[in-house]
Amino acid sequence: MPVWVIDILSRLNSTFIVAGRWKMFLSGLGYTLLISLFSIILGLVIGIIMALMRLSKNKVLRGISGIYIDIIRGTPTMVQLLIIYFIIFAKVPIPQWIVGCIAFGINSGAYMAEIVRGGILSISIGQTEAGRSLGMTSRQTMSSIVMPQAMKNILPAMGNEFVVLIKETAVIGMISSIDLVGAAQQVQSRTYDYLVPLLSIAVIYYAVIKIISIVLNKLESGMRKADKR
Amino acid sequence: MIKVTGLKKNFGDLDVLKGIDQHVKQGEKVVIIGPSGSGKSTFLRCLNLLEVPTEGEILIEGESITEPKTNVNKIREKMGMVFQQFNLFPHLTVLDNITLAPVKVKKMPKPDAEVLARELLCKVGLADKENAYPAQLSGGQQQRIAIARALAMQPDIMLFDEPTSALDPEMVGEVLSVMKDLAEAGMTMVVVTHEMGFAREVASRVLFMDDGYVIEEGTPNDIFDNPQNDRTKEFLSKVL
Repeated sequence: MPVWVIDILSRLNSTFIVAGRWKMFLSGLGYTLLISLFSIILGLVIGIIMALMRLSKNKVLRGISGIYIDIIRGTPTMVQLLIIYFIIFAKVPIPQWIVGCIAFGINSGAYMAEIVRGGILSISIGQTEAGRSLGMTSRQTMSSIVMPQAMKNILPAMGNEFVVLIKETAVIGMISSIDLVGAAQQVQSRTYDYLVPLLSIAVIYYAVIKIISIVLNKLESGMRKADKR
Repeated sequence: MIKVTGLKKNFGDLDVLKGIDQHVKQGEKVVIIGPSGSGKSTFLRCLNLLEVPTEGEILIEGESITEPKTNVNKIREKMGMVFQQFNLFPHLTVLDNITLAPVKVKKMPKPDAEVLARELLCKVGLADKENAYPAQLSGGQQQRIAIARALAMQPDIMLFDEPTSALDPEMVGEVLSVMKDLAEAGMTMVVVTHEMGFAREVASRVLFMDDGYVIEEGTPNDIFDNPQNDRTKEFLSKVL
């Protein structure tokens, strides 16, 4: 066997096998996925609420969501995370990963709000008029006519935002080292090997995002079935 | 059934309706004609408050819809509307397009709504299309579905806003024939259209609108064969 193959194998061995270090990667991946999932859900909920506020007739609601979107988009995610952890939750005993979910959810909500707003505006006013002319309330019209169509239109942009968010969760390293990047750092601090842990998590991130992209594509083509002529 | 008094509507500086008084009685078929920009569609859209009048009063079956406290949705349940661009819901099948409002608004059980929807589909001659999506249908078929959708709310009044203007010529007939059936069945109808043949045949009263006013009105014979106003004469000479 060539020397470099033996070298790689031994580095893989010390990164993953020795002292059961693969468990650290597995737990890191678990936390990355957990934080991503809850951030996406929170971001989506905030995004929809903010988009509807932004489009409402009420000036105060419009103003609040406008300021929210402006501030969140105008400051770095990392700064938002640090403020939420070290200032807002400074005295509250709360697991770091939950702080991460809140911070990333709030952050993603601002971007999601603009995506959802664009989606709603892309639906012709005639759809709303048709719903209202049938006696449906504006809420019923929004939830059974406009939103389902808007959601279909924004699925590609939303998928993109999910992918950005999953990668963004690596910023949680500022307050904790429980995620994938944290796992790589912990392992490399014991093995003094940077190459294998970092390339490994790069591959893991890539695989996760690939799977999500494929699922979203499937979902989208399913939702497009009404468009086939 | 519909009583309009002193109706005015402006969009910013633009006065679209400048004072309209009209009374539509039960079972009447009122057809509104006139050049584009004369306010026909705006007038029609004021009747179910898709446009909010600037001034004036509109009574539907004795209830004022221009009072701020009226429940607009309740009034709209009694008035079906058919649009130039059909506005079918593209994400729903034909059957779901028709059953959506009865189920959501009238809380009709879904199976009952489906029975009603199938009856209406038979009436408009599209019984075989219930599982199709709007994009799979021709314009004429879509408009007939849109009429069925409005009828599913069992309205007392039907409003038609240029229902055939977006259609290919060969599809106009099928939509007009559905409208004629509806007229013969006694529905109260207000129709904005450029189809003079339809107006002549179906209307109990024709309104000629220009520049925000109803300039002339009368039976189809009055308007088409013996118009009094110069502007009516000029318009008819161009379209007939």
